[in-house]
Amino acid sequence: MTRQILVFLVRRLGMTVLLLLALSLLVYGLMFLAPGDIARNLLGTRNATPQALDQVRAQYHLDKPFLWQYTHWLSHALTGDFGTSIRTGAPVGRMMRERLGLTAAVSGLAFLLSVLAAVPAGVVAALHRGEWLDRALVGWSVVGISAPGFAVGLILLYVFAVGLGWFPVYGTGSGFLDSLWHLVLPAVTLALGLGAFVVKLTRAAVARELDEDYVVFARSRGLGRARVLGIVLRNAAVPVLTSLALMVGYLFGGTLLAEVTFALPGLGALLEQSVLFKDFPVVQALTVVVAVLISLTALLADLAYLTVDPRIRNRMAR
Amino acid sequence: MRTTRSRGPLAPALSALLLVAAALCAAAGTLIAPHALDQNLYTGVVGAGVDGHLLGTDQLGRDILQLSVAGARSALVGPVLVACGSMLLGAWLGMIAGYHGGVLDALVGRYTDLVLALPAVLLAVVVAGLLGGGYWVTVAVLTVLFSPSDVRLVRAAVLEQTTRPYIDSARLLGIRPGRIMIRHILPNIVPTVVANVLLNVAFALVALSSLSYLGLGAPPGAPDWGRQLADGRDLLGDNPLASIVPGVLIILTATAVNLLGDWVFERLDRTVAVR
Amino acid sequence: MNAPLLRVRGLRVTGPQGTIVTDVDLSLEHGGTLGVVGESGSGKSLAVKALSGLLPRGLHATGEIELDGEPLDPDGSAPQWRRIRGSRIVTLPQDPFTSLSPLHRCGTQIGWAVADRHRRAQRVAELLAEVGLPAEVARRHPFELSGGMRQRVAIAAALAGDPQLLIADEPTTALDVSTQAEVLDLIARLQRVRRMGVVLITHDLAVARSRADQIMVMYAGRVLERGPGSEVLERPAHPYTARLAACDPPLDVRLASLPAIPGSVPPPHTVGVECSFAARCALTVDACRTTVPRAVEVRPGHLAACLRIGQADPRPPVAEAPEHGGAREGAAPALTVRGLAKRFRGAPHPALDGVDLTVRQGEAVAVVGESGSGKTTLARCIVGLERPDEGTVEIPGLPAGPQRIQIVFQDPYSALNPGLTIGACLREALAVAGRPASDVAGLLALVGLPADHARRRPRALSGGERQRVAIARALAPRPKVLICDESVSALDVSVQAGVLNLLSRLRRELGLSLVFITHDLAVARQVGDRVHVMYRGRVVESGPAHTVLSAPTHPYTRRLLACRPAAR
Repeated sequence: MTRQILVFLVRRLGMTVLLLLALSLLVYGLMFLAPGDIARNLLGTRNATPQALDQVRAQYHLDKPFLWQYTHWLSHALTGDFGTSIRTGAPVGRMMRERLGLTAAVSGLAFLLSVLAAVPAGVVAALHRGEWLDRALVGWSVVGISAPGFAVGLILLYVFAVGLGWFPVYGTGSGFLDSLWHLVLPAVTLALGLGAFVVKLTRAAVARELDEDYVVFARSRGLGRARVLGIVLRNAAVPVLTSLALMVGYLFGGTLLAEVTFALPGLGALLEQSVLFKDFPVVQALTVVVAVLISLTALLADLAYLTVDPRIRNRMAR
Repeated sequence: MRTTRSRGPLAPALSALLLVAAALCAAAGTLIAPHALDQNLYTGVVGAGVDGHLLGTDQLGRDILQLSVAGARSALVGPVLVACGSMLLGAWLGMIAGYHGGVLDALVGRYTDLVLALPAVLLAVVVAGLLGGGYWVTVAVLTVLFSPSDVRLVRAAVLEQTTRPYIDSARLLGIRPGRIMIRHILPNIVPTVVANVLLNVAFALVALSSLSYLGLGAPPGAPDWGRQLADGRDLLGDNPLASIVPGVLIILTATAVNLLGDWVFERLDRTVAVR
Repeated sequence: MNAPLLRVRGLRVTGPQGTIVTDVDLSLEHGGTLGVVGESGSGKSLAVKALSGLLPRGLHATGEIELDGEPLDPDGSAPQWRRIRGSRIVTLPQDPFTSLSPLHRCGTQIGWAVADRHRRAQRVAELLAEVGLPAEVARRHPFELSGGMRQRVAIAAALAGDPQLLIADEPTTALDVSTQAEVLDLIARLQRVRRMGVVLITHDLAVARSRADQIMVMYAGRVLERGPGSEVLERPAHPYTARLAACDPPLDVRLASLPAIPGSVPPPHTVGVECSFAARCALTVDACRTTVPRAVEVRPGHLAACLRIGQADPRPPVAEAPEHGGAREGAAPALTVRGLAKRFRGAPHPALDGVDLTVRQGEAVAVVGESGSGKTTLARCIVGLERPDEGTVEIPGLPAGPQRIQIVFQDPYSALNPGLTIGACLREALAVAGRPASDVAGLLALVGLPADHARRRPRALSGGERQRVAIARALAPRPKVLICDESVSALDVSVQAGVLNLLSRLRRELGLSLVFITHDLAVARQVGDRVHVMYRGRVVESGPAHTVLSAPTHPYTRRLLACRPAAR
């Protein structure tokens, strides 16, 4: 049985690697699809003298065939060398590392907030299906799904920072508590949208399990409410895990808007600036790194199913 | 047969009303708000109620109310195009993959894996940004990025339908595959498709306004809710309504579309329900 | 004498659409068995769910329930139920495939109802032994067990609280014939040893007859008859009970036509102040349509709710049919199957392993087997929905096309496209066969449906009517051979008989050849001129129906037959 699981994992890993390769090829190729002369684009705002253009062409090996350039870039990227930023001239790897902490803090906080609030909310809604509490939670989650992060962020900023003055308007603060204080509003902004999805999916998963025969049978055997709920939650765990794994992808989209709105110097803001500046090396690096992180989460989610659901283990073993 | 529904018809009715109003603004924006783009750099930004500006003005002296009315067009046209376009693409690929299977199915599957490997907003920012942006480029990019979920949806629905006994019976009676597809499979997946188009309109509205907010959608100066938010971000002290109004409008419109989508799905699903 | 274990008076269940179960009275002694018999829509399951306070959301029960002298609140949310459920009353659900949590080990699930944490493991082992399972099953997950084993695990879980009353809701319907008898025997043994009361809900009169000392017959939400088991079934006082008993096909003789009850069970909330059976009864007089008949005592302890008790059924008794539906020995073959083999990827054994089958013109061949025997794969290979690995299917004298062979499936609910009217569905089938749309009415008449059904959608039809439409559609291209894949097994007995009669009429009138696939030996006996018995992808025995089913030679056929009387 373990051997088959290993085979599955190797195949799954192989697929992920192929997918990432294809994606990186596309992202790298975008540089050549962008309008205008590549060398001029790569020069950025610098003076486009013939010497400068020649220098750029040599530096980026633009005279070589496309695939050669790509493999050259990829082999360096695999060692962590993503080249230098056109905009700042600094190594891309270092720029990303400097900003990683902030983004990780905001998204981690948002993830934590949304899971801690939304999973219980989804369970409660499912348990009270059709009642006012359920309708209120579902209504709230529809609004949460519909509200773009930047709009929610601006409204929160106006109400809690400008109006009430409870939270700082911009910036990151200094010291641990102050930093945390600065991150509350961005994290809440992200968590609202994220939590809405989690509420919806958790509610659906738990409600589906509550309709199952085994719940009626468990109740008929006199098992207490808490016990029955425990059984249901265990069975609803796989779809809820799936939704949480999907959320990780969503987080990266959302953090971009939150960082721009709250003027936080994180990876999202870096991506925005780099895209607007056509800072190709940074954009390529960021996109590929995010794709790797999301693929790894999906892989972890698959592993989690294996430990949670014996049926999946069994299907794989056959 | 009447059954008690969890959500009354009030929410969908209000949603429909709101969307009709938004559609009117989109269609006849120049009539309702003829002075949307009139700038008055002399007055600049003023608060609500000043100089006959009910909701105040932005930093260019444009009236927020009129600008918001004019913004309805780019808030509706693009998202509707994205949702319908991606569904056309998705339905076509999904049917091919679901009905024929084999190599075609595998190819379509890899395509969806590839596009779904990154969040749509992020990918849209990168692609639209590097390709030079602009409203229509962004709409086109979003259409492609939204299609994989439609492909998967239609493919799953087609696969689920083709195993039904009545499809087997139709095949044995000698009914041609094309006719089975159009007459027996398509009508039964319509509720799913319609609901998903509506949900996608809401998502596309959110995505498109996000891109405009980042400066990648509507061009500078164009009436667009996302742009208004970006411009109004720095005016929270002088005229908060410059960003709050379009923000609330985006949230309301997207919520209305979502509610309507859920309602339509429930209704259509019941009429085509097997039992 | 102590109070009876269970006494119920005036139990009524209401839902959003109206009353679903009306005025149920019953009583059950300690250690006794009450059989609740009824077709689908009779309200038997809901009535009994109310007895354990487990009605679904939106339904409410009123009336008096007394357990061992203690009054119980019919409202299942009352706190009192917390200590009643499990330790005094327990419900065993129908389907062992859904009644256990898929992600928990069997031992864990049995142990949930054992209060004492320290004795839990030991108690689980004792319970498993009691239901005849090895102790290692405790470590298994439900998906690793067969249906019969799962039902045993469910029984062990149900008994963990040592209940006085076990309510078994169709406990064997989802199981194969050979497992059914084992599970019913197990329940009977446990009942004796534990002196437990049992309420057995079943649609199968034969099961009730062999297992229950008291029988209650329900129809459209009302109790029509109640009394000692042998009495009710041998001398039924209510016309419905009598008709229902007659509909059950016999195994020993073949009848020229099966008794059936016209029409279908009405939804309980649509039944007004009238006898709920009036619309389908042969004895109905005007009074039956204007009053609700009260239960009267026919004999001591035997009650029936009918105004016409004692009236003989005017319909003549059914005649036996000749053993071969005509001389078919010399007829030319209509369908020849040779050496059919099929193996699905990942399956432990082949679905078909060299199957031969010949059907002569106008002949009906029944293929009998349990789940996993390959009988459905055989049907799908014959019509061409599945491609066999080896072997040939020949239909002499006709080119390939829909005129050769058609099929009718099991489930009447998914047999018809829910989006098309019956007329549109039949018109389409006629059009591909090159027949005019005006033939729709004739096609409907052929299967015994009125022409105005053409305007309806499948949703508005009962299961039996849908199955008739499916047959009509299959007949549109005028096929020579019709395959019926378990085509009556999802229907109620009274409706099943009507569809079987229709098939035999079609054979006579159209000269149709029939391959009838079924798990039910009695149905095979009624339909088939010849019978093939399938086991694990092979035909293990075949021959004339009366020989195979009365003097079987293969051990598997013998076991199937032996299980049947035990279940009866």
